[in-house]
Amino acid sequence: MIRLTIDGQEVTVPQGTMIVDAAAKLGVDVPIYCYHQALGPLGACRMCLVEVEKMPKLATACTTAVSEGMVVRTSGPAVDKGRRGVLEFLLINHPLDCPVCDKGGECFLQDYTFEYGPGGGRFQEPKIEKVKDGPINPFVLIDQERCVLCQRCVRFMREYVGEEQLLLEGRGVETVVTTVEHEPATSQFTGNVIDLCPVGALLSAPYHHKGRPWNIEREESVCPHCPVGCTSKITAREGHVIRMEGRPIPDREWGWLCDRGRFGYDFGYHPDRLATSIVKGKENTAAQATRQVAEWLKTVVDQEGGRGVGFIIGGGHTTEEAYQLRRFAAEVIGTDQLAISRTEAGYLPRGLNGTFDDVKQADTVVLLGSDPYDTVPVVHLKLRDRLLHYPALRVIGLGPLPLTRDTLPGLDVLVPPGQESLALALAMAAQWPQNSDVQTLVGSLKEFELQGVTAQTLVQLGQYLQGAEHLVLLWDGKEPEMAMVLGVLARLREKPTAVLPTFGPANWRGYEHAGFSPRFEDLTAVLEKARDGEIKILMVFGADLLREYPNRQLVESAFNQVEYLVVEGILPPQGAQHVDALLPGAAWAEVYGTYINMEARLQVAMAGVQPPGQARPIKTYVNTWARMLMKPLNWDEEWDPFDDDSGDLLPFEPVPDHVVALAMPPEAVGPMTLVTGAFIWESGQPSEILVPRVPQFPGRINPAEVKDMGLSTKRGHIMVSQGSESIVVAVTADPQVPKGILWVPQGLFGTNHLIEGTVTISGVTEEVTV
Amino acid sequence: MSAQHYLLRNRDVEGIDRIEVYEANRGYAALRQALKDYQPDELVAMVKKSGLRGRGGAGFPTGMKWGFLPNDGRSRYLVVNSDEAEPGTFKDRELIEENPHQLVEGIIISSYATRASEAYIYCRGEFLRGAEQLKRAVKEAYDHGYLGKNILGTDYSLELKVYRGAGAYICGEESALLESLEGKRGNPRLKPPFPAVAGLYGGPTVVNNVETICNLPPLVTYGPEWYTSMGTEKSPGLKIMSVSGAVKRPGNYEIPLATPLRTLIEEYAGGMLPGRTVKAVIPGGSSVPLLMPDQLDTPLDYESVVKAGSMLGSGGCIVLDDRVCMVGATARLVKFYREESCGKCTPCREGTYWMTDVLERIEYGQGQLSDLDLLADVADNIAGKCFCPLGDASLGVLVSALKHFRHEFEAHVADHGCPMGARLYDTVNH
Repeated sequence: MIRLTIDGQEVTVPQGTMIVDAAAKLGVDVPIYCYHQALGPLGACRMCLVEVEKMPKLATACTTAVSEGMVVRTSGPAVDKGRRGVLEFLLINHPLDCPVCDKGGECFLQDYTFEYGPGGGRFQEPKIEKVKDGPINPFVLIDQERCVLCQRCVRFMREYVGEEQLLLEGRGVETVVTTVEHEPATSQFTGNVIDLCPVGALLSAPYHHKGRPWNIEREESVCPHCPVGCTSKITAREGHVIRMEGRPIPDREWGWLCDRGRFGYDFGYHPDRLATSIVKGKENTAAQATRQVAEWLKTVVDQEGGRGVGFIIGGGHTTEEAYQLRRFAAEVIGTDQLAISRTEAGYLPRGLNGTFDDVKQADTVVLLGSDPYDTVPVVHLKLRDRLLHYPALRVIGLGPLPLTRDTLPGLDVLVPPGQESLALALAMAAQWPQNSDVQTLVGSLKEFELQGVTAQTLVQLGQYLQGAEHLVLLWDGKEPEMAMVLGVLARLREKPTAVLPTFGPANWRGYEHAGFSPRFEDLTAVLEKARDGEIKILMVFGADLLREYPNRQLVESAFNQVEYLVVEGILPPQGAQHVDALLPGAAWAEVYGTYINMEARLQVAMAGVQPPGQARPIKTYVNTWARMLMKPLNWDEEWDPFDDDSGDLLPFEPVPDHVVALAMPPEAVGPMTLVTGAFIWESGQPSEILVPRVPQFPGRINPAEVKDMGLSTKRGHIMVSQGSESIVVAVTADPQVPKGILWVPQGLFGTNHLIEGTVTISGVTEEVTV
Repeated sequence: MSAQHYLLRNRDVEGIDRIEVYEANRGYAALRQALKDYQPDELVAMVKKSGLRGRGGAGFPTGMKWGFLPNDGRSRYLVVNSDEAEPGTFKDRELIEENPHQLVEGIIISSYATRASEAYIYCRGEFLRGAEQLKRAVKEAYDHGYLGKNILGTDYSLELKVYRGAGAYICGEESALLESLEGKRGNPRLKPPFPAVAGLYGGPTVVNNVETICNLPPLVTYGPEWYTSMGTEKSPGLKIMSVSGAVKRPGNYEIPLATPLRTLIEEYAGGMLPGRTVKAVIPGGSSVPLLMPDQLDTPLDYESVVKAGSMLGSGGCIVLDDRVCMVGATARLVKFYREESCGKCTPCREGTYWMTDVLERIEYGQGQLSDLDLLADVADNIAGKCFCPLGDASLGVLVSALKHFRHEFEAHVADHGCPMGARLYDTVNH
């Protein structure tokens, strides 16, 4: 530790700390533009000049590391003149368009000029003219005239994200930030440059000219679209969310968001947003619709008892809402048929769940079927951050498709679909052959030959699994038996082993915490009971089952069979003709509540706007029904989802140590296997803003497979069939995809008409609009 | 005037750029001697003893620079800075165009001394002939076994490549040069780490000027005592001065350090053109302050020139005569820095732009007296606040011109134009 004095105050900081961070520790503000802790020092803007004793010139606080006994002064005649000079320089070519600048009022150039700058400028010559409001891509605009060339955006894309899509062009005063080859930036993370830009140069296109700091309201929130739960801020104006910003948390989060999360905030006022209650296909008042549902509930409960009612929750509800619904189901209706709308069959026990702190310490990362860039993008950034700090980070992809990337290079072990858990178990058997749990797991499959995986690969994988000092595994949740394999691995290793579940819905841990069963088999059981007539009323909250559940036929037969199907949501679900009562719900940003993310971390999101029209939070519905059913709920004691001992993490629970033999994996019987997976552009709620960026041909298949199908270009439509069912899928020919695999995002193209597994593909003769 | 040339032997030997002629004139003998008689560390010690200082401008002791390389087993690079672009300096150009083998030989000796296994020559983009000469010389050296595996039958191997820059002055700054050599935008890097620790591709790297490296063959041949017999204790040896301006024989001259400026102008360069008198001298390339006529007896060694208020720099000696308009000359030089500012740091990027505008306005007769104080203040806001030396370099002539020739600036304001009737420089830029 190094001791130094800043403005007469002594401070102790670790070696290598820059003066600016040491000063921040004391609460001394040193103005900066180019420096950012995540990006490291650059020394370009020269704004952070300070005086250091025994140094002949002013020093830049962002590039000067502290040394023992250093004496720093952050103000004084020389410092003040230096900063005044730098600000005057920055302003000579800066346009005076603050009155029409989106950043006006939240701009560091304004703030520092006010605090440190000259009262007026002495520059008489014409300012240099550059591009204004030029597009970086559909979401980000650049005003090159306002740019102070701090390079944060360029360095973020090049060094941090690893996708070099922004660069400096030209020299001297003619230097501008622009995109590579002047092509739109396609990275998943471009929106972060808006937050990083200290001035009004990089602007959000959807927010452009939509608000000023004095007529907006900001609320702290959590991004609702995927299980990462990025900390964010809502900007609201007149009842609409008009912007999302990242919300850094010191020592924990940088506040990065992916573009899907940052710009997909408009679902609250989507043209299809439900704001009216619909009963039997007709619009109705909220009071009548609620009363109607209460009557149905009363009839069924009177006749069948509470177990005649099933509840399924999904979508973007808060943990508190799930809790209110669970209490209603248990105390008023008296049913335990409670399930979460899941897309994957797997469940991760709490005890195996790691946190992002594990990523910060990881030396080995295994991607189990999940490419974080496409499923949980900000985790990809967290892994990049780790890679920058620890270049030896070992990344291993295990799945039917390559999961590593140029930005996260590593080893890909390709296994046939559905054989990831067996592959992991066989690798463990190679490394720990004597262990009885491993022997039980592998059982008679010890000699099973994984197609395309050599014995050496399994041995090497086993060595990596044992050798890792801090192992992090990302899991897509597809194979339920994986949880058991991971449990055995964690017990064998004796060193930190952390699993991060990448499957949704985003708040499934929260629903579990509120008392809903997170198990896929329980969801299936509820649907089967509905199909079999045991459940008479199916109450669906926020879920779009026909889209989400992997077996569409089961959902359809359940919907056909139940007497009443009540759906609460913010957008009409698929199969609206089945729905007896459609109740408009309150969306994220319209209710205060807690979300629990893939770390099992509780995070609070504030409400920023009012629900539109008749849209109501769950509590309003259940209270009304409870009163109508003459069993009013007592909310005197407010439920606190936080645990006294474990703070913002869910309490730890031991991992079940029950081990059984893995089943023989399914074998491919045909030449083509359908694999689905989470895709960030398709998860969460739909957004109009995102439309220009949502990939139009998101299916992926090896080019050799579609060579003869009239796909003249690299993209096109193919027919995918299984039994009597056929769907049309928009695919991109991608040489990265192994032969025999067709990958389709979950929930798109009606994929759940088919069961994952063997399919046949053929060309489509006409261009089909899906 | 010394009759014998050591660095500019091309003046004495016709066709020395060809390897046969070079070899016939003791060429590569120093290399044979170095590889045979010296361990690498002994060569470093010899360079330290000779007191050789970097000839690129900063004058940093070469042996000390070599000594900074960490002994951590990583492979080392030697990079030769041939991005000579300082206005008034043209010594390296002659060295590479007329006697490229001397540089190649020096590189091999230096690489051997610093245990570098790869060397690069970063050649200024505009030096088309120089780059061709170097490429040919390097090929000849490979063909003759001076480069490649097991040089001259020893264990030592070296790969040498010639890389052409794309025409940016800033790439003469060593860290920007390394960025450019790696294929990136030529912006200076943050130091520390210095190139010796983390240079080219992050490896330990020595960056030396062409002239510095060209000193190695004669140094090995004649020994450090020969070198220290010239110049002063702190500035020993030879220096090539590029003389330009209104002198009778402008050109490169190899002088023992501490030769008086007057001797350089009057004897080496043949004195002023008829009817011209010295108005001021820029002794070390366009980045350094002016020396006045009463300072012509300043010995040209690093310390004496600093004492006189300027710097020896790269040895680009621009002699300004009485017909030169100081405002125009200053404006031209500041404009050079404006054009060559990389744009990374604020004071240099914006300050050089602003100063150029103000100077042009004064030269055109649109200036006000307050502009002189403005210029001085803008210069003060640049001074010592830039990321790399380029910003400060833009001030050398300006600040001393404002000091010594303020009356000329004032006359421009009072007369609404240049009293000397000088037209503003021709320029292809706007």
